[in-house]
Amino acid sequence: MLASVFTKTIRDRWIGMFIGAITLGLLLLMGMAAYKSIDLSIYDSMPAGFRNLLAIPKGASIGALAYGAIYTSYGALTLAALLIPMGTGAIAGEERDGTIGLLLGNPVSRISVVAQKAAAIVVVAAFGGVVLWLAGIGAPAVLGVTVTGVTLASLSFAMFVNALFYGFLALAISTWTGKRGIGAGVSTGVLIVGFIAAGLFPIIPGWENAAKVFPWYYYASNKPQINGVDWWHILVLLAAVVVFVAIALIGVGRRDLRSQSVGVTIMDRLRANPRTAKIVERIAGSAQVSTIWMKSVSEHQGLLIITVYVMLIMSLAIGPLYNLITGPIKEFGASLPPTLLALFGGGNLSTADGFYQIEIFGMMAPAAVMVATIAIGSRALAGEEQQRTMGLLLSNPVSRGSVVLQKTVSMVIHGVAVGISIFIGVWLGSVIGRLGMNAWHIAATCLLATLIGLVVGALALALSAATGRVRVAVYGAIGVALISHVLNAFLPLNTSTEGLTKWTPFGYYLNSDPLANGMDWWHGLVLLVLTLVLVGLAVAWFQRRDLRQRG
Amino acid sequence: MTDQIAIHTGGLTKHYGDLHALIDLDLDVFAGEVFGYLGPNGAGKTTTIRLLMDEIRPTAGSATILGRDTHRDPVELRKYIGYVPGDLAMYPNLTGHDTLTYFANLRGGVDWSYVDELAERLDADLTKKVGDLSSGNRQKVGVIQAFMNRPTILIMDEPSSGLDPLIQREFQQMMREVAANGGSVFLSSHTLSEVQRVADRVGIIRHGRLIALESVATLRAKGLRRVELEFTEPATASEFENVSGVRDLVVRNHHVAMSYEGSMGTLLAIATRHHTLVDIATQEADLEEIFLTYYHDEESH
Repeated sequence: MLASVFTKTIRDRWIGMFIGAITLGLLLLMGMAAYKSIDLSIYDSMPAGFRNLLAIPKGASIGALAYGAIYTSYGALTLAALLIPMGTGAIAGEERDGTIGLLLGNPVSRISVVAQKAAAIVVVAAFGGVVLWLAGIGAPAVLGVTVTGVTLASLSFAMFVNALFYGFLALAISTWTGKRGIGAGVSTGVLIVGFIAAGLFPIIPGWENAAKVFPWYYYASNKPQINGVDWWHILVLLAAVVVFVAIALIGVGRRDLRSQSVGVTIMDRLRANPRTAKIVERIAGSAQVSTIWMKSVSEHQGLLIITVYVMLIMSLAIGPLYNLITGPIKEFGASLPPTLLALFGGGNLSTADGFYQIEIFGMMAPAAVMVATIAIGSRALAGEEQQRTMGLLLSNPVSRGSVVLQKTVSMVIHGVAVGISIFIGVWLGSVIGRLGMNAWHIAATCLLATLIGLVVGALALALSAATGRVRVAVYGAIGVALISHVLNAFLPLNTSTEGLTKWTPFGYYLNSDPLANGMDWWHGLVLLVLTLVLVGLAVAWFQRRDLRQRG
Repeated sequence: MTDQIAIHTGGLTKHYGDLHALIDLDLDVFAGEVFGYLGPNGAGKTTTIRLLMDEIRPTAGSATILGRDTHRDPVELRKYIGYVPGDLAMYPNLTGHDTLTYFANLRGGVDWSYVDELAERLDADLTKKVGDLSSGNRQKVGVIQAFMNRPTILIMDEPSSGLDPLIQREFQQMMREVAANGGSVFLSSHTLSEVQRVADRVGIIRHGRLIALESVATLRAKGLRRVELEFTEPATASEFENVSGVRDLVVRNHHVAMSYEGSMGTLLAIATRHHTLVDIATQEADLEEIFLTYYHDEESH
């Protein structure tokens, strides 16, 4: 597997994709098992338009529902999210690691390296699509379920092409700029904003066409699992991929390669300017290195600013948008059974609270907090070991336990900052849209969202402390969060398994319906204790083991 | 150098599964000395240093620094230690000054006028981001952070890598000053000439075992010499190869070269038995040759 840049890239990346796809396959299996045990007739009583909105065909079978719930959104998001690091790592990652010079010291051109890395992205994405397709065939066979009305191969193919779009977008931006962060940030932003916008705009009268601006529309709008491949849409995505490859190929040739060097930030320029030097020095200079936790907070400030900004704007925008949704959809939403609504975060379209729950609190809010907490939790210890700075840090009179706790403080600060931004956004959205939501209830929900984010972040921290490996911490924490979220959505579908939600962390997030009922302190306490236990484990595990010498 | 033990290891052992990285290391480093720790790649030098710094935990045995157990009391100990890890890495987004500020904040009690003095002596630029510095200039920042709180104990793993010769000399002077003030320097190095110049004693480690522990003066006094003989007529290898103390024998026509440990009178008597000696050149072996000789002995066992 070390015969070429192409094969080495596949060797480094296939396992992550394999684990991601297998996890999704298992989720599909769980979803199907849950659907198998419930009465599906409720779906047939829905209006065709609404059914279409939820990607559920008439006479929907267990299979169709499970594919729609697991593969269409989670599957496609995961596949795309796994390709983004491949795109950013292709050239900019080698530059960051300082290996690009060594690589290009061999008789291989820059263009050839980009081309081979691009080919590897395609192969790994196809591999993911094939594993999902096989898992999609295997799951109903295991459960003895007959699947009708679903074109699994079309769905897998559409997910593959969709993922390529984001992987190559990340490749183009990172390779053009030489900066991984920009590529990852923009690609993830386009993915998440597009995912939400492509689902939201079609239900707002007069704004239906606005969804076409977002790439997710060209993947999901024709419901490939029901209607097969829309070749025009696929062509749009593939055309974009071709453009991205061209940008990457031109980009890598036009600029100086970076050799582990670092960019000049706005803060650097302000520090260099005599007029602003004094104040900026105080904020960004001496303050950021005053303690371990302050340094950790400042290291991730870029990610925090973006997350806070996006959540603030999105939370705020939902309020006025709610008023644009037509009455019939709201009325129909009121008639849906709670078990079905649990799949979409337990919200109810007929109320502003419910709409916020579906659009913001169901997935986005905890995900946004987790972006911040997992980023710090996973890199806090393992990141320093990977960069080989932990030995130097611990040569100072500071204990390992103190390092873990100070990194935890920075994780909590980031999580709380995102939680507060969501609160401000939702509260302002409610005020602007005259929705009359209870501010205390909003605060309670944001607190619970912050706490569930901290639980998952603390899990990342504990895995990071136990293994010293960033990838294990990131994938482990995301995997547990995903499984917990899906279990919490599916377990209530069957009365015999409903009680099991108390064994999943997500069961203590929205199950008490805090937007309607206010804070459930018992649930908050459970999440807090879980966080503290995981941090305690992180301290214990980190104190016990040898530091890794290499990442 | 005094009799006061600064660093002590007793039966210090580290296994990584089947790999025995360090085996039963018994070692004392005294106050007021520079201790050179020599060995090839993978010999166990970095493992020893990481054990001393409590980065990794021993499979058996223990280590103390200034009388405190390195594992039980690491935080208090580190107030007195300056450390340069091997393959030094720092935070690329911080300037040299920010980096030193960070570590100064964690340690406390750093005199910034002394930091400025160190930066001047090493000709270090502290205004640039560490990620933008060359490896040598990055190493200077690492050396300054190790010296800046006037440590009693300096533990350094290949600290000279990347430093130019002039700066290396200044750096060696700085190490001697620490020892002169009663401190101890534990210096792992490949640069044998550096150890020869700066160290009081040398430990040689190979395959995880300490195979020699001598003062530099004693090593030199072992009498290993480089000898070259020139004769009027061609010589043969058989005349010298069985002579006790002869190693690395090379015979080219009239010219004979060897490493020799023993009496020069004995060697000259053999050399002049059948030939007329035209010229003789001899010089004291440097540590490298002594070092290689030890390996040769080890491998032949």
